[in-house]
Amino acid sequence: MIATILPLIGRRLVMSVLILLIVSLLLFLVLHVLPVDPAAMSLPPTATIADIEAMRREMGLDLPLPQQYLIWLSHVIHADFGNSIHFRRSVLSLVGETLPATIELAVLSMIIAAALGIVGGLVMFHVRGSRKEPIADLGSIMLLSIPEFLWALFFILIFGVALQALPFTGRLDPQFRLPQGTGFLLFDALAAGRLDIFWSAFKHMILPCFSLGIAFSPAIMRVLRSSLIDVYQEDYIHLARLRGLSERRILIRHALKNAILPTLSLMGVQFGILFGGTLLVEVIFSYPGLGNLMVDAVRNADLPIIQAVGLAYCVVVLIINTVVDSLYLVLNPKLRVR
Amino acid sequence: MDMLIAKDLTVSASLHGERVPVIRELNFSVAPGRVLGLVGESGAGKSMIGRTVAQLLPPGFAVTRGELMFDGQDLVRMPFETRRELLGRDIAFVPQEPLSGLNPVLTIGQQIDEHLARLDFGNRKVRRDRALEMLDAVHLTQGASLLGKYPHQLSGGMCQRVLIAMAFASRPKLLVADEPTTALDVTIQARIVQLIAELQRNEGTSVVFITHDLRLAAQICDEILVLYAGRPAEYGPARAVFSEPAHPYTRCLQLSNPAMSGARRGLYTLPERMPGLSAIKGIEGCLFAPRCPNVTEGCNAAPPPVIDVGAGHRAACIHPDRTAAIAAPVPAAIDASGLGTPLMTVDGLSKTFTTRHGLFQRSEFAAVKDVSFALHGNEFIGIVGESGSGKSTVARMLCGLERPSEGAVAIAGRDVSDDSAATRAYRRDYVQMVFQDPQSALNPRRRVASIVTQALEAAGTGTGAERLARAEALLSEIGLSPEMALRFPSQLSGGQRQRVNIARALCAEPRILIADEIVSGLDVSVQAQLLNLLLRLRRQRGFAMLFISHDLSVVRYLCDRVLVMYRGEVVESGPTAAVFDAPSHPYTKSLLAAVPPDDPSAAWAPRSRDAEPALALGAGL
Repeated sequence: MIATILPLIGRRLVMSVLILLIVSLLLFLVLHVLPVDPAAMSLPPTATIADIEAMRREMGLDLPLPQQYLIWLSHVIHADFGNSIHFRRSVLSLVGETLPATIELAVLSMIIAAALGIVGGLVMFHVRGSRKEPIADLGSIMLLSIPEFLWALFFILIFGVALQALPFTGRLDPQFRLPQGTGFLLFDALAAGRLDIFWSAFKHMILPCFSLGIAFSPAIMRVLRSSLIDVYQEDYIHLARLRGLSERRILIRHALKNAILPTLSLMGVQFGILFGGTLLVEVIFSYPGLGNLMVDAVRNADLPIIQAVGLAYCVVVLIINTVVDSLYLVLNPKLRVR
Repeated sequence: MDMLIAKDLTVSASLHGERVPVIRELNFSVAPGRVLGLVGESGAGKSMIGRTVAQLLPPGFAVTRGELMFDGQDLVRMPFETRRELLGRDIAFVPQEPLSGLNPVLTIGQQIDEHLARLDFGNRKVRRDRALEMLDAVHLTQGASLLGKYPHQLSGGMCQRVLIAMAFASRPKLLVADEPTTALDVTIQARIVQLIAELQRNEGTSVVFITHDLRLAAQICDEILVLYAGRPAEYGPARAVFSEPAHPYTRCLQLSNPAMSGARRGLYTLPERMPGLSAIKGIEGCLFAPRCPNVTEGCNAAPPPVIDVGAGHRAACIHPDRTAAIAAPVPAAIDASGLGTPLMTVDGLSKTFTTRHGLFQRSEFAAVKDVSFALHGNEFIGIVGESGSGKSTVARMLCGLERPSEGAVAIAGRDVSDDSAATRAYRRDYVQMVFQDPQSALNPRRRVASIVTQALEAAGTGTGAERLARAEALLSEIGLSPEMALRFPSQLSGGQRQRVNIARALCAEPRILIADEIVSGLDVSVQAQLLNLLLRLRRQRGFAMLFISHDLSVVRYLCDRVLVMYRGEVVESGPTAAVFDAPSHPYTKSLLAAVPPDDPSAAWAPRSRDAEPALALGAGL
């Protein structure tokens, strides 16, 4: 098992480094085209032109672009992303505080999307050819056409405002303080043995996660349904029936195991999009994650944060893709090297 | 008491709201330990009978009359769960495509174990021991390592052995084998058939053996049921049915199959094809009448009664006495004399494929080793051998689809080894290829006219109207009606598609055709039509052909000379008659011995070679 995955991970590492270099170059160039002057921004409004010029020299902004890039890159490689112009704090610690929150949100959303998608796909497969099929079809198309921010608004109105059943701002109830640790709140709360904090954090995640999860589930449903239909045309399913296996066993052991493969590669692609989609949901739910940090940074033209967050998104997506591909390799024996 | 009895069995399909009988009034029985052969062209309803036994019919199909009794129980009317209990336990199945019959994501061990667990074979340890015994019984050595393998790591023959082992695990009373060897090489076919026969004899199992291969059926079946468009044509003891066929259809099928021994005889060409579902409704009398050489007015009046023609031998024909008079045509002469200078010379052709494992390891696989021959004008050369012997790689290299690793090819005196544009154009003028699977070789979105005149279109010659006229001329030359020019490939039958495939290659007037397995997978009647077409076209327009086939009898009928390939090398070559009558290489001998003999009463003793290779060679290529 390990031996089959290791070469893949090795190849991915080499590729990831190349991709990150390209992304960093793009981030660097794009932000240099922006009509903002970091030197002027980091000085009080009373600063003179001469002060700004001196600051530019101090920040290295008078050097040629390639040299500026190399200096920035060498800092980045040493995990030095500089200080935020707006917050006047280390970018690394800002990102370090918010990244786990976003990962937690994205992973839980993906689990919900996968669960809903698989159950929905099975239901849609089950009703195929029957009179209920058009209803199921209509339902899945409706789900597909409603974006995550609309779900978020519906949920806030129904469960937050009307029923007052669930909270819809922040990560925790105000009486709790963030426990120290990894930044993954659910994990930290459990590690500290604080079930009350865990429960509060969990309740805060329900609405944002379902908004994202529901929006991403219909594509999974449809792919699972059509790959199940394909798999049921295969000889080995027919032969399993001829061996007298029960329909339930054929579905779970023979059909699903094969039909899940295309679904899995779809989920890998989706996770990257979903991770970006957290931005909007975080803003709507005032969820203190990478998305809100990014929005603040863009609003304040906080270049170091934008660069760091951009790279962080890229790294997470690369890691997720590698994980999904490894999983694919484990589940599909045909891809394993003999 | 008989194990399986069909009484007036009728299966109908609903077609546009109407019920059309797909299988009609079938009567047969299989006694314990006996083998019933179901034969006929594809679409005759052979496989439908297998599906009726399991009652796993396609949507819209149902048994509408008669009964099917298994061991005294009514299979059609018993509850679903009762029948499911019988399946896999008392009634077992062996499929046509062994590779797709096994689940690709489960190991062989997991799949055997699942089956044994359903059969209540005790705990995991007991089941594993039993699985090893089973693999041993089907002569698969190294069973323990096999259990951990996935289906794609095994050859087709090994997969079929695994499936046979599973089928016999419960000592079933009835085995339904649906074309179990059609997808396999001839030498493996012989061993698989022998294996089924051996287990069947030991266990006393009754077998329903579905096949389109009459010679094979003659060897292993006790009784034969010949089906035509879902109707029984002839039923009786195998020896009687094949040595004195009473129904013209049986006789015609026999005569359209090329002979493996004796003087080369012509192939009988059954015209047209079997009526499909919608055509059946419009025919009042005998369904075979439109294709029958002995047709009389009485044939079209009413469906023929099933009459006794011998001991236990019945036929649905009103003139069974005239059947013996149907004779094969005089064969078109094969003329290997006066060959003159070679058109194409192949000298020391080799191809080595390199596969990479991981980052640094690589292994080499010699697909073709040092092949040399010369092809003369108007000469048909056959290349025979098992899958993986390098036949197709030779074809691809000669067409320029693959670059040879070594060796030289010259066409009409000019070397075509380099890959320049001029050489490719020169090669195209001389050589055209016909591919194996017309289904995938013909673009489904193009009309037949545009497919067959592709060569003109690419060269930019002629106007649209001229090309259409050319297409129609080509179609009538290959025996299709010119109206077909405006159809799409999906509107044609398999045989018609293969004709279009041939017409496309002929459009550019090539002097050499390279044909890779172009008649495999087709019914013998269609195969006979195509083989005779190729011989006629050669007489009319003159061309040479390299004909690659795994079917020895076809090569014997069609080709002047033959090359026998084994593991990438030509092990024997010469005039077809000489090689087939007096083979000198042991491999050729075993290949020839693996083909069931023409004479149903002759003994069939295929030599067993060494065990199959543990892994399919070059399976990943």
